[in-house]
Amino acid sequence: MTELMLIVMVVLLLAGFPMKMPLISAAVLGFLVYFPDMNLQILVQQMIGGVKPAALIAVPMFILAADIITRGHSANRLIDVVMSFMGHIKGGLAISVTSACALFGAVCGSTQATVVAIGGAMRPRMLKSGYNDSFAIGLIVNAADLAYLIPPSIGMIIYGVVSGTSISQLFIAGIVPGLLIVVLFSAYCMWYAIRHDIPVLPKADWGERFKSVRRAVWPMGFPLIIVGGIYGGVFSPTEAAAICVLYAVILEAVVFRSIRLRDLPDIALSTGAITSVVFILIAAGAAFSWTLSFAQVPQTIISALGLSEAGPLTVLLAINIAFFVGCMFVDSIVVILILVPIFAPMIKATGLDPVLVGVLITLQVAIGAATPPFGCNLFTAIAVFRRPFVDVVRGVPPFLIILLVVTGLLVVFPQIALFLPELAYR
Amino acid sequence: MQESKPASLSILGKIDAVIGKIEVQILSWGIILMAVNTIANVLGRYVFHQSIYFSEELNEFLIVIVTFMGLGYATRKGIHIRMSAIYDALPLKARKILMIVIALTTAIMMAVLAWYAYEYVAKVARRGRVTPSLQVPLYLTYIWVVVGLALTSLQYFLTALRNLNLSEEEVYVSYVEVDSYEDPETTAALSRYAEQQSEESKS
Repeated sequence: MTELMLIVMVVLLLAGFPMKMPLISAAVLGFLVYFPDMNLQILVQQMIGGVKPAALIAVPMFILAADIITRGHSANRLIDVVMSFMGHIKGGLAISVTSACALFGAVCGSTQATVVAIGGAMRPRMLKSGYNDSFAIGLIVNAADLAYLIPPSIGMIIYGVVSGTSISQLFIAGIVPGLLIVVLFSAYCMWYAIRHDIPVLPKADWGERFKSVRRAVWPMGFPLIIVGGIYGGVFSPTEAAAICVLYAVILEAVVFRSIRLRDLPDIALSTGAITSVVFILIAAGAAFSWTLSFAQVPQTIISALGLSEAGPLTVLLAINIAFFVGCMFVDSIVVILILVPIFAPMIKATGLDPVLVGVLITLQVAIGAATPPFGCNLFTAIAVFRRPFVDVVRGVPPFLIILLVVTGLLVVFPQIALFLPELAYR
Repeated sequence: MQESKPASLSILGKIDAVIGKIEVQILSWGIILMAVNTIANVLGRYVFHQSIYFSEELNEFLIVIVTFMGLGYATRKGIHIRMSAIYDALPLKARKILMIVIALTTAIMMAVLAWYAYEYVAKVARRGRVTPSLQVPLYLTYIWVVVGLALTSLQYFLTALRNLNLSEEEVYVSYVEVDSYEDPETTAALSRYAEQQSEESKS
């Protein structure tokens, strides 16, 4: 029976059905088979219940804040500040792209928006400076992944709600792995620049640096609100997200005047549409996960794969591979909604830290965004840079290797992710 | 395009347009209210030492209505996330037939869900359950699920209908939108990029 559910899901996915259909169909099918005497109302009830958790309100709020910010020029201010500090070192331009992606990711959390905002501004400069185009695009689509890992992160919120893990701890735990990726990417960029003898930019003096910092002070408030507010126990993640919206409105409508207040309903409409599309998946996922767990499907799959006696390391490996492969093909939210309930009993049984699992899953989700054949960053890059798929993908492998190395490091040294939340909460 | 449609379809189209406008209002004001409500609650707690007692309940209501009433809007705009690789590789006629199959199946599934949602909401109404803080009848906050699912089902039926004319050149992903699938977040990011580009070329 489990096979039938899986087959229906895969067929509907591949045939190009809207993603809610595979989830709902599998749920309804499983329900009718396992619980023929029960009323389908239960699934509807699960769907409504699925979207109601207060923590999920953070998702539309962070999307709204990002929608507002990306209409302004915050990205350029952040680029200027990192350029003034790093432009003059070897590979400085490429290193600036990495850091700017990390900073902008800390402001807005959408990898596609990061590709557009940072990549759109930086790729021409990199080309002019002598970088190869496939290197530049490879760097941009992969560095934009940092937006997933560095809070705010929509994937972490959804994982947190589905698995019952503290979203605050997940957010904090994503920071150090994110910075580690920045460091490793930067090292690779430097090596690349030395090997290809790419000229350095003139060094900015302290006057210019001070000026650029002052211009970027306002956008830097977002990470302060999110990390400081949550770390300091002032806000829940949902409240931090709402305060980010308030801050974004003040910033873009009052300080920078890049939007007018009467633009807000339009911006909110675009946020609302994305919210609805994402939340119907969450609703469908809740129904799916209910059927799954009541029919004991995870246990069946686990024993079929011979994983029932597996130790924590094997389980972590299985999770990483499953999410890596899943995210290569399917939208990350759907992968989280399908796979987390399947792995949940195993995670519990092996005593793995759900925060660590969440960070690893988020990392795989992030990698999937820039990994062929399907990745939302790749498609964004194709559209923005007007390059064919092959050209966009060519520069990906070195960065992919670095990201997989970071995955390995996290599995072997979980403390990279866990020491900050442990410092703060335990 | 409007002229070529039979009269019955154009009346449907008008009703559809009105529903679409209502959905737009619900989506944008639902999100804005959600933000105002959450912000007010935080400010209330820290500035006035007084939380809003119904804040969480209001957000629950808003997210339910945005999710399910937005579904019709998303369907109309054809922005549901889907995997279109194989679909895109098919020849036009096969794409059209597949789109009819997809739209019809999805329409039926949505209709089934709408029916069970109706039964569920009717049960909730009969039992006279009220929400904990505001004491509003619970069914009033859930009725939108039924309406939303029913409207979504209708949208998919219309999509199937629209594609029935196999001689037409275009594949419709919804009643009004021609096939131009992108992931919604990507589309949003790209449209903003296009806006900025046109602004820059102006200045």
